Amino acid sequence: MKIWPILAACGAVALAVPAIAQDGYIIQLLNIAILNAIVVIGLNFVTGWTGQINFGQAAFYGLGAYTTAIATKAGLPWITTPFLSALVVMAASLMLGLPTMRLRTYYLAMTTIGFGEIIRLIIVHWEPVTGGTSGLRAIPGISIFGFGPQGQVQHYYLLIAILALAILIAARIRHSTLGRAMIATKDSEIAAEQSGVDTVRTKLLAFMIGAVYAGLAGCLYASSIRFISPDSFSSIQAILLMTMLIVGGMGSIFGCVIGALALTILPEALRFLGQWYLVLYGLGVIGVIVLAPGGLASLASLLPLRRASVN
Amino acid sequence: MGQLIVNGLALGSIYALVALGLLLIFNTVQIVNFAQGQLLMLGAFIGISCAVTHELPVAAAWAITMVAMALVGIVFMVLVYFPLRGRPAFLVILTTIAMGIVLENLALIIWGPLPVSLPSPIHGPPLRFAGVVISMHQLFIFCTLAVILLLQFLLLTKTRFGILMQATAQDLHTARLVGISVNRTIAVAFAFGAVLSGIAGLLVAPIFLAEPTMGGSLGLKGFVVSVIGGFGNLPGAVIGGLFLGLIETFGARYISSNFRDAYAFIVMIAVLIAWPRGLFGEKSSEKV
Repeated sequence: MKIWPILAACGAVALAVPAIAQDGYIIQLLNIAILNAIVVIGLNFVTGWTGQINFGQAAFYGLGAYTTAIATKAGLPWITTPFLSALVVMAASLMLGLPTMRLRTYYLAMTTIGFGEIIRLIIVHWEPVTGGTSGLRAIPGISIFGFGPQGQVQHYYLLIAILALAILIAARIRHSTLGRAMIATKDSEIAAEQSGVDTVRTKLLAFMIGAVYAGLAGCLYASSIRFISPDSFSSIQAILLMTMLIVGGMGSIFGCVIGALALTILPEALRFLGQWYLVLYGLGVIGVIVLAPGGLASLASLLPLRRASVN
Repeated sequence: MGQLIVNGLALGSIYALVALGLLLIFNTVQIVNFAQGQLLMLGAFIGISCAVTHELPVAAAWAITMVAMALVGIVFMVLVYFPLRGRPAFLVILTTIAMGIVLENLALIIWGPLPVSLPSPIHGPPLRFAGVVISMHQLFIFCTLAVILLLQFLLLTKTRFGILMQATAQDLHTARLVGISVNRTIAVAFAFGAVLSGIAGLLVAPIFLAEPTMGGSLGLKGFVVSVIGGFGNLPGAVIGGLFLGLIETFGARYISSNFRDAYAFIVMIAVLIAWPRGLFGEKSSEKV
């Protein structure tokens, strides 16, 4: 199998990064990129594999983060928060998903945008609990029975390990019955129904798994960055997550990670462009969708083909 | 109470105009343009550039804006629609969103982030009617909506162009086979759609101030209206728009103004749960 050397190389690079980049700012940026990658892998279940548009992913990310922040600030031990966050986002995704999973493209896009806006408005206006627009500060860090990562480098290694686990679980689900049902639903709902796939159930499950990925990433975000505000989970963020998925390559886990890394780091690297960055970002997204519909991941898979044709 | 109804209907008329622009494009190419709000913003700012910066008469500013918006619509079609013909709907959704981001930030670079006001094309003392005050601008909004609605209805049902549009929407390839210039029809639809959102922008700017980020929420309201009324449904778009304007105004007055923007979405989700294709039904159905 040719994939193992590549995976090993990626792993080695990922582990070596903190040794090369001593700068705390860069590590912090990478930590956010890793969290985004987990959220985008979650989005990939819904959009990449099941073919359903979802602009609510940022809201689930926010729900996880706010649940964790509010729970730990209220004095609950950290170990309970991943479970709490997962429960809250599962309940929310069921509430949104049960009635809306029968809707098609534009209707689904609008309901998920609407859901995100409603969650954001609640966060902004429920000030005594959520801190309103100024957000919540000094959130207690990760601590499992008194043990927890100290400093950004340790957080980085923890998050890399969790990302690896998230990738592994996603890959396992992709090749399970459920994963095949998702792909069938995307290709043709009618054909999938005819073959005995319960498409509504499949869509709902994909939606819930995606939400749990986002909720857990939110939980880690709150307790590793230690500061959250509504801006991090707005509809702009939801669109950004969707572009990470598309630019990286829909349906490819590798693409999700690449897309999240690229679109988290690029805005910082191109900060000198100011407002022009967002203009180029918009044009770049259109360019990728038009010229490389499979995203960056598809460019990588083109290479062997080219070589073969030369030979 | 009466005052709230008038204010709500004025707001709703603007939502209806945004939805009418969306509808023209949707009826021809089955695409929902998520940058419609940014086109509206562009219309408002072109009007401001003419009327405020260059001190042209407001009527001239309106004329220039409408011509400019028609061109913008065609450029928009070439950049966003042509390369994506026949691709999945959510890719089109994403390209139009990306185009919206481009327009919004170009506007921020060109016009800066500060809100600006545009004078109304007509002046005069407000009408008073049983304790209800109707400003001349509100009256103007109602008249504009009525005129555009009539024109659009005649255009879609009574003219050759409307029939060409319907043929293109039903089956692009067959339309081309029978000799319809499909591209020209689509270009006209995009141009008209952009002009309509430009007019909505010119109408909004005198009430709320114009700023580059104004498009996002107004555009979304246009979609909410389209969803409530059913995409591509002409009476649905107008009734949905007025209905939404009333809900927002009354909700802000009697429930909470903090959640003003949420009412639209709550109503929309409720409508969709009960009628998955909108209150008045979608005009076309999925092809197997």
